[in-house]
Amino acid sequence: MDPRALRRFRKNKGALAGLVLVLTVTTLGVAGPWLAPHDPNRQFRDTLVLADGLPAGPGSVPGHLLGGDPLGRDELSRLMYGARVSMTVAYAATALAVLIGVLVGLVSGYLGGLVDGALMRFVDVVLSMPFLLLAIAMQRVWSAPGLWVLCLVLGVLSWTTLARVTRAKTLEARNHDYVAAARALGYPHRRVLLRHVLPNVAGPIIAIATIMVAQMILAESALSFLGLGVRPPTASWGSMLSEAGGLVLGMPRLVVYPSIFIAAAVFGFNLFGEGLRDALDPKE
Amino acid sequence: MRSTRRSDGSAAGTRGDGWRRVRGVAVVVVLAALSVAAVRHWPEPPIGPRYVGAGDPTPRSGGTFVFAGGSNIRTFDPHVAYDQLSYMGIRLLFDGLLDYDRDSHLVPSLAVALPEVSNGGRTFRFELRRGVRFHNGRELTADDVVWSMRALLSSESASPGYPFYKAIVGAPDFHAGKRDDIPGIKKLGRYTVEFTLTEPDHTFLNAMALPFAYPVPRENYERWAKVGPDAVGRHPVGTGPFELVRWERGVEAVFKRFDGYWNQPHPGPDEMVFLENLAGPVATARFRNGDLDAIAGMPAVDYLFFKKSRAWKPYLDQYPGVTIWGLAMNCEMAPFDDVHVRRAVAFAINRKALSRALQGRALPTGQLLPPAIPGYDPDLPDRQYYDPERAKEEMALAGHPDGLAAPVTAWIGDSDNSRLIAQLWQQDLREIGIDVALRQVSFATYLEATAKKDTAQMFPSGWNMDFPDASNFLFLFDSHSIHPSHSDNRSFYRNPELDRLLAKARPETDPAARVKLYREANDIVARDAPWAFLYTPLEMEVWQPYVMGYRPHPIWLEDYRDVWLDLPRHRVPQSRYRDEPARAEAP
Repeated sequence: MDPRALRRFRKNKGALAGLVLVLTVTTLGVAGPWLAPHDPNRQFRDTLVLADGLPAGPGSVPGHLLGGDPLGRDELSRLMYGARVSMTVAYAATALAVLIGVLVGLVSGYLGGLVDGALMRFVDVVLSMPFLLLAIAMQRVWSAPGLWVLCLVLGVLSWTTLARVTRAKTLEARNHDYVAAARALGYPHRRVLLRHVLPNVAGPIIAIATIMVAQMILAESALSFLGLGVRPPTASWGSMLSEAGGLVLGMPRLVVYPSIFIAAAVFGFNLFGEGLRDALDPKE
Repeated sequence: MRSTRRSDGSAAGTRGDGWRRVRGVAVVVVLAALSVAAVRHWPEPPIGPRYVGAGDPTPRSGGTFVFAGGSNIRTFDPHVAYDQLSYMGIRLLFDGLLDYDRDSHLVPSLAVALPEVSNGGRTFRFELRRGVRFHNGRELTADDVVWSMRALLSSESASPGYPFYKAIVGAPDFHAGKRDDIPGIKKLGRYTVEFTLTEPDHTFLNAMALPFAYPVPRENYERWAKVGPDAVGRHPVGTGPFELVRWERGVEAVFKRFDGYWNQPHPGPDEMVFLENLAGPVATARFRNGDLDAIAGMPAVDYLFFKKSRAWKPYLDQYPGVTIWGLAMNCEMAPFDDVHVRRAVAFAINRKALSRALQGRALPTGQLLPPAIPGYDPDLPDRQYYDPERAKEEMALAGHPDGLAAPVTAWIGDSDNSRLIAQLWQQDLREIGIDVALRQVSFATYLEATAKKDTAQMFPSGWNMDFPDASNFLFLFDSHSIHPSHSDNRSFYRNPELDRLLAKARPETDPAARVKLYREANDIVARDAPWAFLYTPLEMEVWQPYVMGYRPHPIWLEDYRDVWLDLPRHRVPQSRYRDEPARAEAP
């Protein structure tokens, strides 16, 4: 990274805070299953479900720091496993979106003309589709909705912004002398694109992709909340929200805990992404 | 999703920065203090009822009664309606020839008496009450009953009720458009109608008490048929104690007392307001504030509140519903074509844990018939129950001592609750070596897929009875109820012995003999386990202290037609809120 950019980033306290949050949730996603005190799917029907059918509260049962969920499963363990699901989906879907978006943007901006027109109209078409509705429809079509289908659906539906930004930056870079020089030297398009154009458009892409991770976390939560996410009994933050069900008003903690995790992750990725954008693109 | 950025980022470090920081901290502190204060002094609804009645036990008319439903009312056309919310309105607007009393016994309503049965149980002669008037002022006669049945049975009505009446002579041909008349329905005089069936069927009287058979005035149907389909469902005219004033669809329906009601005296509110689309928590909050006069079906937390409350105790009723819930298995699809695998599932599910996860709102069971239905037997020899050891034995008998090699797929609907409950039995079945993948689909897809041959291996299933007779439950397992799609027998279970028993019970007129046959059939179904029978839900209804003459109806549940209000109501002073039964006090 450009040392000046690094310095700008380090001076931005919000961005640093974002980085800390991002590292924390990512670590939780990777290491959660080892840190979790219990099997997240085990139902402690005798200890974590009270006589009236309500789950035991935080701290009331030794060994279950945050109490139980409505089926008597350990809340803390489910939150930690949920981090893995949310992080996996968010990163994988973003990676897919970046792959498609950057490819389309580079080709479109670099080749221009008819190809550019066709690709950008296609982007318009994809953009005009209501995201959540389409995600629900795609999930319904698959006979076995699961983690990877979810990543695929989210990735395939959210690459358009990246494609547009990449295209704009590519158009700009295309007219630079070094690109003209590389083309004059007879390098193949692929080499010109990957070695000369891409490094110069990478900044905004990285920034947007980071913020996109935050959006993916939200989208995963929303779909899981609607019952279209991971398959039960797998824990994810969104499905934990929906499984609080009719107990929400009396036991707000059932939605507060997963919400805190979702909010922290989304906030962290947003702060981090904004910081990156400011650092990498000082002109704005 | 992207947050807006500070545009004056460069201002940091200039004059006034210190002040700005102090001001920022001050704003945060004030906001925090305010929210703490708000939370601590949040107005709590009263613990007990907010209002009590005047304390005058004389039934009288007057006032407005307000009640609510959780979703849209579909229609007020009794030919088409087939859901609880529509029935709540229809029960105010219409009467049937027959009705049920509070002990679930059939009683005459628009008929003078229960019909005269002759011809070996095939012919039923009804004598109509005289002087009954529709809301439009016209008198009800035998012609109305004949016309209403014709309209119901014609294919144009698209009534889901047709199958209940297909035993009437000529009804299937009329329904199919093959003939113009129904020989089985005859007018014998101005107030006499006779029905003839192709074979004796004791449950025909139950069918005649269903809202589908409520007499409706022809002129009203002909008038609204020109306007559009279901227009008549928005403009109902009946013989009931209330008539519809207006209906703003999706918001509220308003009824007023019908002065020409035949069954006088019939004291009741001058007006009834039926609010639609009131979500459970909202309805409960409004009820506790005294804005609603009765509620049913509330979220878990509110349910526990009322259940524990002493102050509300005299004004609520909790009773087992007339519904059975279970886990259905498709008997034509592996591995559930093996009775031992099905029995293993039936013995594997911990019904007590299930009931507890529903906050005790479920009565654990192990047989098809709910407790209120004759034929139910707590000591049924082959009843199902939770016994993991026995479940494992059954798995061994089926040749799977170490569990199933492949996972099975269970289709579930898209409510949060169905997903939660499914995870309970999913866990239980894993214990005996059956891995279940849950496939969550929309409710419509679920209904379609589970009624289709060779589609859904396993799925939670329920049945809400139409009338209090065991046949209304047992037909779900009759092989005649199997169809390649839209099957009523969704587990595709076939047993000639059961079919024979049901055919024998249908014309049986001796109640004791019928119950004996039904008990036997109930036992067969429990033994062969096309479903693992799990629970009967416990319903709860709560009403205000000034609502009189109300008890949940065993058949119609929320049936407010006989309510009257002990007005004026008095507000209980806040200082007196305590958790004990409220008393009426002198103003």
